[in-house]
Amino acid sequence: MRVSTNTIFEQGIFNLQRVQSQLVKAQEQVATGRRALTPADDPVAAARILEVTQSKSINDQYARNADSATASIGLEENALTRYTALLQDIKTLAVGAGDGAQTPTDLKILGTELRGRYAELLGAANSTDGNGLFLFSGYQGTTQPFAESASGTVVYSGDQGQRLVQIGAARQIAVSDAGSDVFQRVRTGNGVFETTANAANVGTGIVGKGVVRDAAAWAAAGNPNNFEVRFSVDSTNVPPRTTYDIVDTVNNLSLTTGAAPAAGPYLRPYQDGATITVARRSPPDTNATAFDYGIDLAVTGAPASGDRFTLAPSTNEDIFATVNQLIQALETSAPGATGNTRLANSLNAAMNSIDNALDVGLSVVASVGARAKEIETSRTNSADLGLQYDTTLSGLRDLDYAKALSEISFNTVALQAAQKTFVQIQGLSLFNFM
Amino acid sequence: MSGSIFSIGVSGLNAAQAGLLTTSHNISNVATEGYTRQTVIQTNRDPQFTGSGFFGQGVEVDTVRRQYSQFLNSQVLSAQTQASYLDTYVAQAQQIDNLLADPSSGLSPALQGFFSGVQDVAANPSSVPSRQSMISLGQALVSRFQAIDARLSEIREGVNTEVGGIVSQINTLASQVSTLNRQIVNSGSTEAKPANDLLDQRDTLIADLNKLVKVSTVPQSDGSLNVFIGSGQSLVVGNTTFSLTSRRSTADAANVEIGYVVGGATVVLGEDSLQGGQLGGLLTFREQTLDPAANEFGRVATVLTQTFNAQHRLGQDIKGVLGGDFFSAPAAVVQSRTGSNGNTGSGVLTATLANVGQLTASDYSVTFTGGAYLVTRLSDDTQLPFATLPQTVDGVAIALASGTPANGDSFLIQPTRYAARDARVTIADTSLVAAAAPVRTAGALANLGTGKISAGVVSSVANLPLPGNVTFTYAQASNQFTVAGAAPAAGPFTYTAGSAISFNGLTVSFTGAPADGDTFTIVNNTAAVADNRNALLLGQLQTVPTVANGTASYQSAYSQLVSNVGNDTHEVQVQSTAQDSLVKQTREAQQSFSGVNLDEEAANLLRYQQAYQASGKVLQIASTLFDTVLQIGR
Repeated sequence: MRVSTNTIFEQGIFNLQRVQSQLVKAQEQVATGRRALTPADDPVAAARILEVTQSKSINDQYARNADSATASIGLEENALTRYTALLQDIKTLAVGAGDGAQTPTDLKILGTELRGRYAELLGAANSTDGNGLFLFSGYQGTTQPFAESASGTVVYSGDQGQRLVQIGAARQIAVSDAGSDVFQRVRTGNGVFETTANAANVGTGIVGKGVVRDAAAWAAAGNPNNFEVRFSVDSTNVPPRTTYDIVDTVNNLSLTTGAAPAAGPYLRPYQDGATITVARRSPPDTNATAFDYGIDLAVTGAPASGDRFTLAPSTNEDIFATVNQLIQALETSAPGATGNTRLANSLNAAMNSIDNALDVGLSVVASVGARAKEIETSRTNSADLGLQYDTTLSGLRDLDYAKALSEISFNTVALQAAQKTFVQIQGLSLFNFM
Repeated sequence: MSGSIFSIGVSGLNAAQAGLLTTSHNISNVATEGYTRQTVIQTNRDPQFTGSGFFGQGVEVDTVRRQYSQFLNSQVLSAQTQASYLDTYVAQAQQIDNLLADPSSGLSPALQGFFSGVQDVAANPSSVPSRQSMISLGQALVSRFQAIDARLSEIREGVNTEVGGIVSQINTLASQVSTLNRQIVNSGSTEAKPANDLLDQRDTLIADLNKLVKVSTVPQSDGSLNVFIGSGQSLVVGNTTFSLTSRRSTADAANVEIGYVVGGATVVLGEDSLQGGQLGGLLTFREQTLDPAANEFGRVATVLTQTFNAQHRLGQDIKGVLGGDFFSAPAAVVQSRTGSNGNTGSGVLTATLANVGQLTASDYSVTFTGGAYLVTRLSDDTQLPFATLPQTVDGVAIALASGTPANGDSFLIQPTRYAARDARVTIADTSLVAAAAPVRTAGALANLGTGKISAGVVSSVANLPLPGNVTFTYAQASNQFTVAGAAPAAGPFTYTAGSAISFNGLTVSFTGAPADGDTFTIVNNTAAVADNRNALLLGQLQTVPTVANGTASYQSAYSQLVSNVGNDTHEVQVQSTAQDSLVKQTREAQQSFSGVNLDEEAANLLRYQQAYQASGKVLQIASTLFDTVLQIGR
């Protein structure tokens, strides 16, 4: 083929430029450590890099969120631990007060000690975090959740919101609990119903907290849920014979007779400590209609004629009211059998509530602990995931140095060869021989 | 006889001299761009008939001819116009390519920064520094939007300026071609005796013109060449030229368009008709890469600001007031056609963003013809005829604000083009960040059941703040919640554990076993400085697919843009490399035929030198012969 002199030049230069541009690109890759210098080099990888980078940055954010959640939840755990320890303390004091060896003066001293505990309880419920935000006020971080509106009456000013922290793409974890759920939603009695001795009782009958024998029967529709156990002592009998009746106070009916309540003596005989069941026992009951309201209770001691014990559904009572009632009972205790009986009944009621409060407190502690564990797990996951993202990113972005460097040395050789031959061919001219 | 020998010798001398002249001309033009190798065409003279037969009469130089192939030349031209088209496209596309995915200057770092600011507020809703940092990072995001948009506008202005420059170059080259046409015609150049060097010059001009825009040529019998561009518009006819002009587009003032001036009027040349060359590269780049990129980028800005605002408005700031807009609301732009072919009616069109999730990255044109509106989606030329306005197309509500359009009036709607430029953060006061939700819920303390109410979700603030507490009371007999205090009134609702109860823009759900008479309340979320529920929802927007009918998150929409630009660039780069090889090959073929080879010329030099010397010898011998005859007479 005929070759023009221009072509020889152009071709030589074209080849030199091609190899040079490859060299420059490889050099830039080595200098930046990046395989793809612009999206055009690998459009798919460029888009993936952007998305993986975002995923990584979100993952890092979740890890930071988990740190902050751990801090918050740690503070709550501390406050709750303090609170449950205080409850144990108060319970110990209440047990000590009920051992029968205390004089009214001793009890007053115990009452004073309990007032200190009461203040501590209030302090625990008003705990703050490092930023001065109250832990148990729900969303209203700057509102003090618990304050005494009157002596012994504590009002909750927070709300029932739980503060959440995002620790995973689909996981928001609660880092606070509302004060109302921890300190206020505490059931009285045995959690289902509550037994109370009438304040006018003069006998020595002490009522137990009762048991639910048949939860379905208790919850069934038509169950009045409010009863009274009324005692009558027939002192004409020798020894005096104690009988009792169970009255449905909603409908004002004697359950044993099925008629309106009458004066004693009643149909059922009383035996110290024996089960009083709120269901028909025939005989001695004469009620034609069978009934079973699913609960049993027991009374110990010797109730006097006209003594009454009420049975009502449990209500929520805040721990401050419970402790306050305990203090009142201790400080107003009277000497004598009647006074001791009243104190015993009050202590029983208070201890039931404190036990329930402990249950609530400990279950919140357990839930907080479980959340702390979950946050920890999530943080470990974040770290693992972060590592995976790094690997993915590296695969998408980073240069294979061995390949790039060998390419550079290969291209260098090629460029040198091209330069040398170019010069040689240019030297060939017929004019050299003329 | 000797006279004849003389005359033969002289003809040989002349022919050898012509050969030497042409060879020297070739050698001296070896590096001249567009030069075509010339050769001397010589023939033997007609013989003289004698009784002894035919005697040759020597040599005659017929002409000097270019080694020119129309076929090879036009191959080079068509390869070259495509190559300069691709070169220009690549050079422009690379600018956007480099801009978007730079790890430090692209949008991604600012986007991620902003959302980690939002997450910070979610983690510490009452912290003023966190709120300040969210606002500052929002401003950083907005200024990144603006910076990238400004760069895209700069590239667009660059294209406009270059188009103007190229148009005037085309005009200059065209007038030079017409001048040469005249010179060639006047020089008396014919097919048999061509004015080689003038033809070379004209071919070079055509090649230059061809690098600017693809042209077609038709040679005329008088030797002149007519040049056409676009869809057959004549640029040069004989020695007359027609000129192109560049001016602001009457449809879109941001762009420069190209007009063809004929008879004092200007006809707009469509972008599709001007192909190849640098001009074609610029126009195609603008239409196929720059416009979609700017629109797509604007769409990310539009959807981000709008969806973020929407969620922000569902929240409540630290003072207990319902949230406002965090970003300024971006608006669609409507341009009426202006200029000599501008709108004649009084109709004013408005376009509002009705549903940002449905937005496409396209512009729309609305033309009023025959009493109806024809809406065209410009990205794919889908035509949607409507008898009346308002209409909503792809999430854009188009309405006639005032006046009446005249037949043929046309409007350009750009829903997202300027969103990135116009984005602002409207909040400066840290207390205005709406991190909290506007309502909260509670179960009454006296409740005896285990029923719980969820924290509640707000989907509309039309009925907020609540005029008073909303109380749900459970009735066991009917298994229903009655609702008191809701305005407008709502309920009763049958209780199903965990299922959502929605009313007045609020949604709550109940779980557990509520007891008869248990009550739950929804109240205004006053003093809720530690509530972060709305901040959490704002933070989640980062990964929620909100763009393009819920198929892409902000980041993935942006990634898609980067990938599209990368693909475009990659594609034209590959094509450009291939085209360069093609140019090289066609040039090689053309040069192989028409180019000067110095070795060949050196050989020719020797050949013609020897021929010249030999002819000289012939003259010398003829002279000797003549002397011999004279001596006979002495």
